[in-house]
Amino acid sequence: MPAPDIKSSWADEVELDYGGLPPPTEVIENGFKYVTEYKYNKDDKKTKVVRTYKITKEVVPKTVAKRRTWAKFGESKNDKPGPNSQTTMVAEEIFMQILNTKEEEKANDNLLDLTKNIAKCRICNGEHWSVNCPYKGTSMDTNLMEKKASAAAAAATEAPKPGKYVPPFLKDSQKGGMGGIRGRDDTAAIRISNLSESMTEQDLEELIKRIGQHTKMYLARDKNTGLCKGFAYVHFRQRKDAAAAIEILNGHGYDHLILSAEWSKPQNN
Amino acid sequence: MRPLMLQGHERSITQIKYNREGDLLFSCSKDQKPNVWYSNNGERLGTYDGHQGAIWCLDVDWTTSKLITGSGDMTTKIWDVEHGLVIASIPAKSSVRTCNFSYSGNQAAYTTDKAMGQNSELFIIDVRTADSSLAEQNPILRIPMLQSKITSMLWGSLDETIITGHDNGQISIWDIRKGREVNSVNDHTGSINDMQMYKDGTMFVTASKDTTAKLFDSESLMCLKTYKTERPVNSASISPIMDHVVLGGGQDAMEVTTTSTKAGKFDSRFFHLIYEEEFARLKGHFGPINSLAFHPDGRSYASGGEDGFVRVNTFDSTYYEPLF
Repeated sequence: MPAPDIKSSWADEVELDYGGLPPPTEVIENGFKYVTEYKYNKDDKKTKVVRTYKITKEVVPKTVAKRRTWAKFGESKNDKPGPNSQTTMVAEEIFMQILNTKEEEKANDNLLDLTKNIAKCRICNGEHWSVNCPYKGTSMDTNLMEKKASAAAAAATEAPKPGKYVPPFLKDSQKGGMGGIRGRDDTAAIRISNLSESMTEQDLEELIKRIGQHTKMYLARDKNTGLCKGFAYVHFRQRKDAAAAIEILNGHGYDHLILSAEWSKPQNN
Repeated sequence: MRPLMLQGHERSITQIKYNREGDLLFSCSKDQKPNVWYSNNGERLGTYDGHQGAIWCLDVDWTTSKLITGSGDMTTKIWDVEHGLVIASIPAKSSVRTCNFSYSGNQAAYTTDKAMGQNSELFIIDVRTADSSLAEQNPILRIPMLQSKITSMLWGSLDETIITGHDNGQISIWDIRKGREVNSVNDHTGSINDMQMYKDGTMFVTASKDTTAKLFDSESLMCLKTYKTERPVNSASISPIMDHVVLGGGQDAMEVTTTSTKAGKFDSRFFHLIYEEEFARLKGHFGPINSLAFHPDGRSYASGGEDGFVRVNTFDSTYYEPLF
């Protein structure tokens, strides 16, 4: 019986069939151009790159239109029409940071006040350095020393026994320092839920802009469809604005839905 | 907004400029090739290959047919914008710091550095029939600067005057027919890094190392406004449609490696033209901004930084809302 000549295992054949990269494709669909390319990345894995271009029409002066038809030259001589991804990139989204100068001035004033009273005497609490204190070396001074010594002794007895392991994250929580794991200040963050699917960042900004300045906002979107998942987090600059936002938005009707707003709860793992 | 990032240079950007219509954006850097880009989609049209040193300055004439560049290789070159070819190459005795076409495009001025025993000098040349013979021709006018070096330069009204900014903070206005200084002021205390004219030519904004930018009347050199920051200002530009000035700067390039991006203040800073009040900032660069330019339609602006990137920022609708 003639044995069929077996070239290789099926696994190799699969490799052979799709070994080469599929050719790049360009699809133009209702005003958008989709360019799909396949590449090998650093780890020799195939990756698919989809770029979306918006096709727009503009009315421009004749001279400008003529310049659009100029041939490329120099280092760009061999570039195809359209932006070359080597030299032109779209940066990540950024927002203009609108400053409220009055607030900032106030903050600066506070700082100045602090620096003014930087000198505080340990002995008499006056506004001078301890070294210059007129009560230095008197009974007030020695009393203070004794008090300190006894306080230090008390602290030593209360301290936890050495040798017991405390994980780093617990150490932090005992101190009651920054709170959140990421060290972000979540005190002025709120969660808005029951948003409609068609909600966008612009809508959200529009909604909260009037209430107060926000430092950050996050609108949860579905990974595949890009539609809103129904909730968003907003970090306000000031806690009072956040409180006002909850007051206003909780029960507020928007897009035929009743919103609910509450304080953002810290993640608990 | 999602800015366009243009990565055509290997070293820090020294100057960027739009042409008159704003459809092309020219950039030059300390590498040897100026670039030209379509400003609306960030596509690179080409590079101008031929210089052998850092390019310090560039300018494009009003018909977008000629480009002038000044370089550290001690030449000024005039280029054909469309094809990227050299029309003329004019040798100098030291590196060329600033260059500008006059409004009419008939003349061009350039200035050289005070270096290698040479004084800083201002040259004016006729570029109407520019060809390779321009290298041998004598300039129309040649003014040596005896005390200080010119760090920035502008053409004044009707192409009759030239305004120069110096490394000691002095600003002078020169009558080019008489060939002498008409007026000078010392409002700045540090080097004038950049000067940019308002669209109608009545006033200009300066950017100085003394951490301020100032607005001057371009006839009388009267200081009209002062915009204060905490870091050296490298460039400033006035919006053609709003009463806004944008300032770019930051820590000195040599101190950048020892500063964090947050403390370095590498943001573009927006000031109100009249109230002198800062009202907005825009992040983006991770080094100081060396050059800024508003698009002639005022709806976007471009910034070039020490990090080698040019960023084209198109304003969101919120930018146009009234502030006060």
